[in-house]
Amino acid sequence: MAKCDLSIELDDPQALHAGGSTISGVVRVRVDKNVETKGLVVTSGWATHGRGNVTSGVFNSKTLFTGEWRSGDTPEYRFELPVGSWPPSYHGNYLNIDHNITAQAKIAWAFDPKASQTFLMRPTGGPESAAWKDPAASSNKLGCVLFSIFSIVFCVVFFGGMIAAGGPSIVFLAIAIVPLLVGLGYGFKVLLPRYLLGNVECSLSPNQVSPGEEVKGELVFKPRKTVSINAIKLTFQASERVVSGSGSNRKTHTNVFFEKEQTLVGETTLQPGQEKRVPLAVQLPGDAPYSVDLTDNDLIWNVLIRIDIPRWPDWTKNIAIAVVPSGKPMQPAAASAGTVAEATSQAVSPVGQEAEVSPSGITFTETAQHFWELRNDRESVMELAGAVSGLTFDIDAFVERRLLYSGDDDPHVFKDGYAVWAHFTEPPLPMVLYVPHDLADEFEQIGRDLWKGRGTIVGWDAQHRRLQIKLENSAVI
Amino acid sequence: MKTELQERSCGTTMPWQWCNLRRNPFGELTRAERAQLAVVDIQGIVQQVSQDHTAVQFIGDCGRGKTTRMLALAHAMADASYVYLPEDGPCPSIAVGRPILIDEAQRLPRKVGKAVFASGLPLVLATHRDLSRSLRRFGYSVDTQSIGAANTPELICKLLNRRVEASRREPDVAVPRLSLHDATVLVRKFGSDVRSMESYLYDVVQSQSFVSLGLDHGQMRFVD
Repeated sequence: MAKCDLSIELDDPQALHAGGSTISGVVRVRVDKNVETKGLVVTSGWATHGRGNVTSGVFNSKTLFTGEWRSGDTPEYRFELPVGSWPPSYHGNYLNIDHNITAQAKIAWAFDPKASQTFLMRPTGGPESAAWKDPAASSNKLGCVLFSIFSIVFCVVFFGGMIAAGGPSIVFLAIAIVPLLVGLGYGFKVLLPRYLLGNVECSLSPNQVSPGEEVKGELVFKPRKTVSINAIKLTFQASERVVSGSGSNRKTHTNVFFEKEQTLVGETTLQPGQEKRVPLAVQLPGDAPYSVDLTDNDLIWNVLIRIDIPRWPDWTKNIAIAVVPSGKPMQPAAASAGTVAEATSQAVSPVGQEAEVSPSGITFTETAQHFWELRNDRESVMELAGAVSGLTFDIDAFVERRLLYSGDDDPHVFKDGYAVWAHFTEPPLPMVLYVPHDLADEFEQIGRDLWKGRGTIVGWDAQHRRLQIKLENSAVI
Repeated sequence: MKTELQERSCGTTMPWQWCNLRRNPFGELTRAERAQLAVVDIQGIVQQVSQDHTAVQFIGDCGRGKTTRMLALAHAMADASYVYLPEDGPCPSIAVGRPILIDEAQRLPRKVGKAVFASGLPLVLATHRDLSRSLRRFGYSVDTQSIGAANTPELICKLLNRRVEASRREPDVAVPRLSLHDATVLVRKFGSDVRSMESYLYDVVQSQSFVSLGLDHGQMRFVD
């Protein structure tokens, strides 16, 4: 049984809090037995819940009390914390996002008592246009590039091998089937519609809009042949796309919660060489939820345009639209990107002279703090790792355990050395330390105690969310 | 009256406030939550794997509770190390532990398996394939447990209600509860497949979000 219970009372629990504002309340503690706490920490953050894997983030935290509570005490601690400005509160079918205040009392050798209260947050700014990427566009380009590379490599290997083997054989014909099917698929989806319609240009702008606004564009093409079409249709839809599980249990769930279809052109026959221009316009609902792009949890708005050709593959194009808050810009959802920029700029600017200062001026504590804050944002943390890779620091680390196997592909493991998992002192950032052979005995003796020495950052282990550090032979305890 | 879109993004109430829940109890959980909510008797296994060259393997179909057992063991044993082997991609790092818990152990590459088995460290394996022959070759004594057969309506009722309890909003207000009858219906429908039950319940409960009136006496419905 816990030695104390916590509860949180928000001053205005029903309010819709603006992103970037503050939230206040009180943490109440009911103490059943005398207990020493290393810190009563209150945190402002957010978390997803629903069908997808849980993703969460922390904006700010404060330690309200450190010391001893006596049995029977009912102390109260007021707090005021900033409210995060992104992602927005959202309650859908598969995806839900809640902002929360969490209080936790850190108690040695016992479960830490915890309490949490959720509240609603409405942002006043959204992701910057630069930070937003059109997934459809990038995937199309990537697909073309990959297909081209694949075709070239295949031709070289297949025909080269056939010539070397002195003529076609069953093996080479069997190998040909897979790329042939891939090629047929590409031809079916892309080349056949183009054969009739010519190059179809389709654009919508802006690709970043606020609820209630309109997106406009045009579909332009000049048919090469006489072609009858059933219709040109535009489907505007919003969906939640979440991923649950991992590995073989990984499953993507999609829930379309808004769909509107317009027929832009009815059944008609198009003449070759005559340019066809079709205006496109999409009006966003005034209460449209914002686009969200979180790990395993996305809310996507997109426009699908289809030229329906009877007895022929249809021409289709999918264009993603970012729905963002209309308030004054405050670079929120790009918070992660902003933090990276801030972190990397600090990494190259001198700050103070401490024992753990790298030649570039940043301390390891500062570096670890940045990694700690970004550790759940894969893209940003990789960017940060790239920026600080190669920097050498004095490091304190609590050793967790040695690795029995650290992967064939891990290039950082010293010959005859090994890897250990460890964490930094504060924040407790998880790390992988690559231990050279001559430090092996030292690590054996340390067990799970504090190790002190020097190491160079070599990357970020995305799978285990650990900072990779290669230790120097001359490390000193 | 609010539109559905307004409810999603601009609402001033939470979807489960009416039944004192802060979320749909049958959504995805974090690993730590799964471990905490597991209804598993792990003491026997903890004792079994206290010595070197001992191994326990859980064999069963998907969704029966193998991973939940592994996570509960990892949570309860401070010296344990847990690793999940993905279907694709390279084999992840395997840390020394007492025991080493390997999920989807049938995917262990031959070379890595050899290194792990040769360590002699106590092992708990969740697998779809019987690995006892390989383990015995390295001197292990192996206990094989078939997972799923014990998923009775009583157990199902207990573990699903635990998930409901973990989603409680206010401490002193009642939350909905699944009855033994509900659990019996679920077992009849899904057999021992707990994951499928949770998926089904997610949809049933989700259909009752943002509801404050109109349900049978304000009670949540779990099975049709």
